[in-house]
Amino acid sequence: MIFGEFVINTLSLGSLYALVALGLVFVYGILKLVNFAYGEYVMVAGYSMYILGAFTPVPWWVTMIVAVAMAALTSYLTELVAFRRVRQKSDNAALVTSFAVMVLLQNAVLLFVSPRARAVKLPSAFSESITILGVVTPLRNVLTIATTLVLLLGLTLLMKYTVLGIAMRAAADKFTTTRLMGVQANLVISFAFIISGFLAGVVSIFWVGRSASVDPLIGFTPLLIAFIATVIGGMNSLVGAVAGGYVYGLLFNILSITLPASMISYRDAFMFMIVILFLLLRPEGMIKGNYTEERVG
Amino acid sequence: MSLLQSPLSRMAKHSTAWILAAVLVVGAFVLNMAASGVIVDIYTYFCINLMLVLGLQIFMGNSGILNWTYVGFVGIGAYASSILSTSPAVKEMAVANMYPSLVELQTPIIPALIIGGLVAAAVAAAIAWPLMRLSNAVGVITLFATLIVIHVLMTQWDNVTNGPRTFFGVEYYTTIFIAAGAAAVTLVAAYYFRESSLGLRVRASRDDRFAAMACGVSVVGVRYYTFILSSFVAGLGGGIWAHYITSFSPKSFYMAEAFVLITMLVIGGAGSISGATIGAVIVTVMRESLRQIEGFLNNSGVIDFQVYGLTELTVAILMIIILIWRPEGIVGGQELRLPFVGSKHRSAESADEASS
Amino acid sequence: MLTIKDLNASYGAITALHGLSLEVEEGELVALLGTNGAGKSTTLKSICGVLKPTSGTVTFLGEEITGKTPEAILRKGISLVPEGREIFTSLTVSENLRLGAFSSYNKKRYQADLEEMFELFPILKDRFNQPGGLLSGGEQQQLAIARALMSHPKLLMLDEPSLGLSPTLVNQIFDLIAKLRERGTTILLVEQNAERAVHLADRVYVLNTGNLEFAGTPDQLEKELDIADVYFGGDGEGHHEVTL
Repeated sequence: MIFGEFVINTLSLGSLYALVALGLVFVYGILKLVNFAYGEYVMVAGYSMYILGAFTPVPWWVTMIVAVAMAALTSYLTELVAFRRVRQKSDNAALVTSFAVMVLLQNAVLLFVSPRARAVKLPSAFSESITILGVVTPLRNVLTIATTLVLLLGLTLLMKYTVLGIAMRAAADKFTTTRLMGVQANLVISFAFIISGFLAGVVSIFWVGRSASVDPLIGFTPLLIAFIATVIGGMNSLVGAVAGGYVYGLLFNILSITLPASMISYRDAFMFMIVILFLLLRPEGMIKGNYTEERVG
Repeated sequence: MSLLQSPLSRMAKHSTAWILAAVLVVGAFVLNMAASGVIVDIYTYFCINLMLVLGLQIFMGNSGILNWTYVGFVGIGAYASSILSTSPAVKEMAVANMYPSLVELQTPIIPALIIGGLVAAAVAAAIAWPLMRLSNAVGVITLFATLIVIHVLMTQWDNVTNGPRTFFGVEYYTTIFIAAGAAAVTLVAAYYFRESSLGLRVRASRDDRFAAMACGVSVVGVRYYTFILSSFVAGLGGGIWAHYITSFSPKSFYMAEAFVLITMLVIGGAGSISGATIGAVIVTVMRESLRQIEGFLNNSGVIDFQVYGLTELTVAILMIIILIWRPEGIVGGQELRLPFVGSKHRSAESADEASS
Repeated sequence: MLTIKDLNASYGAITALHGLSLEVEEGELVALLGTNGAGKSTTLKSICGVLKPTSGTVTFLGEEITGKTPEAILRKGISLVPEGREIFTSLTVSENLRLGAFSSYNKKRYQADLEEMFELFPILKDRFNQPGGLLSGGEQQQLAIARALMSHPKLLMLDEPSLGLSPTLVNQIFDLIAKLRERGTTILLVEQNAERAVHLADRVYVLNTGNLEFAGTPDQLEKELDIADVYFGGDGEGHHEVTL
């Protein structure tokens, strides 16, 4: 049943990566801003779980809701305090600001909590295993897949059938024209940041769930995964981001199995080289959005 | 007008660069005589950073593309020159797994530095062409990914770099004079590059890609050659840095350092040499004073825990404040002109800048 | 209704409008004419807030709206049909119209408004669930106008509605504009197709490289044009069409 195990692992990893990528693209699609601070929303949620678990008696489900809310709030606040004032004026300044926000949040945790990793209390479900179709797998994996499916369905409905969702899609297509419809620019952008942070918070639960600990640099890997997955899938398409997440999960698992042991430490480099090569052939990603400006010559 | 320009007035036109370069060198002499060792160290380090920032400016400032990979080329230059300049005996001790052929290799320091720059330029030449075709977010992410690839190679290829462990035993060579001289030369070179034909074309491609193409500028081509030049300065600067710091690990050429260099450039204003210089000054002063505070807090026992990250945190906050206040940097896109020289050229120059 | 005073606007270092003043009264159809680069679109962009004028004032219904955001100005009752139509190509016709009504959505009125749009633009009913990107140029133009009308604008601004359309479709669009005018919609129309626009307009403004060159009724323009034919490059026989 090695194949069954591989399938479930890949689906679970791919689901997590799809959520990671989706959160980044929500903001990118509208602002065309690559938000380097995105990984830190994952970190904020992780530390919220640590603090609530270690210092308060609240039940685990409250912890999780608060953690997700904290990530969404942080995302919104970074937009309100930093990005909003910079983004209209210069693209590079906005990019560097997002990097500065990333450095700021990381070092705030270094300074006020600790450079060392902290253990996070999780409900027992995260360490149990179950058997599906003869495959023994951590319950965590199944939860990841299920949560992702529910979220993707919810977001699809939101984007398709609510006026805010329509406005967000319109803004990703033609931002100024959307404002001409009376849609407040700040409303759409704030909402994009909140959804982005919300997804980062959900990702954090499962990300932290794998190691049951959180450290100041925990956000970096999700950020890189989001980069790769969105670039593979297409930076201008929500569907593309999800597809990119699953493809990345598959690629990662294949490389993990096929690379000889001596080369496994180069896995990340291989991943990135594949991405770079892929980009050179198809800079718009697997799924092309409306926006076409990626390649010069 | 160019016919009427005497060589002297040409000098006057570029007076900002020459004066800044002279100030750098004079500063080195004065500080070396009058100031304490700590100040000399800080000044030396500042000059090296300035050189690196100017190298970054050559590509990023003129092409408008955020270049994350730059610090990776600094690392390539640092490793290449250190491997060449360090004696086989030391290398055998310091880098346990090094290829025997590399252990044998040794050159004097100056050729080692130059070769370091050339190796960085060669790597850039080998990989950059396709990268220069990408724009916008995809370009940024790709350059970012390239830095990660370089970093992974540095940390994993322990037959060359000693892996994630420290590469030590590099000879101390970079004095305050060498650092100041290197920074001064880079400053003037970056200034003249900006005004050169290639510099002009790459700036045109930044301001309006399609108009530049319509004028016969090969956007990918001019970016490519500028990138190689910038990487050469990175490699050279990396070697000079390595022979100052004498021991280092791949960590020195990663996100944190990239952030410091990019911060310096963006705070000052990426479009101009004077901006890069002012940014380097501000960030150096900020960082060094914060370091002193952090060190004081940790050593004095005023508080009963160790302070980590205070410097970076504060720099990041100041950075955001400055960017909110002046998104184009403190100097902005124009070259700062010293008020007392070259004023008669102002009208022609400012017209040029207004159109850019 | 709309009063513009001494408006200056620029793109970077290039000034696009030099102290423009103009006025639109309620119920009027005002045509704003001029060659490429005369500053017509710049004027509309400055009115609707997409471009921040460097100086001067825009007053609408007695309230100064200079420098307000596009979304705020739309809520005051000014709706722009942008040049090039700017349909949301990935959104369906239905969704495009829904966004048009974003600022003033009212469930009951919305259905009635849709019915009214279907009457004005029957093709939109057939295409209701298709993506905007699949519509032809003429259909997109109709959708753009319908989308703008969904917000019940007090002033409708049209930027080159006939641009890039075949002669039959141009006729259709101008018939439509005439119909809108009969309904009492106040319209500020920017056109290259000067003759057709002048024919419909109550008053005409002519811009040339950012300066106001003529302001008056179509009749006055006809008279001036006889003298100015050489200047405008017309053929001297009353056919001033696109060359104006």
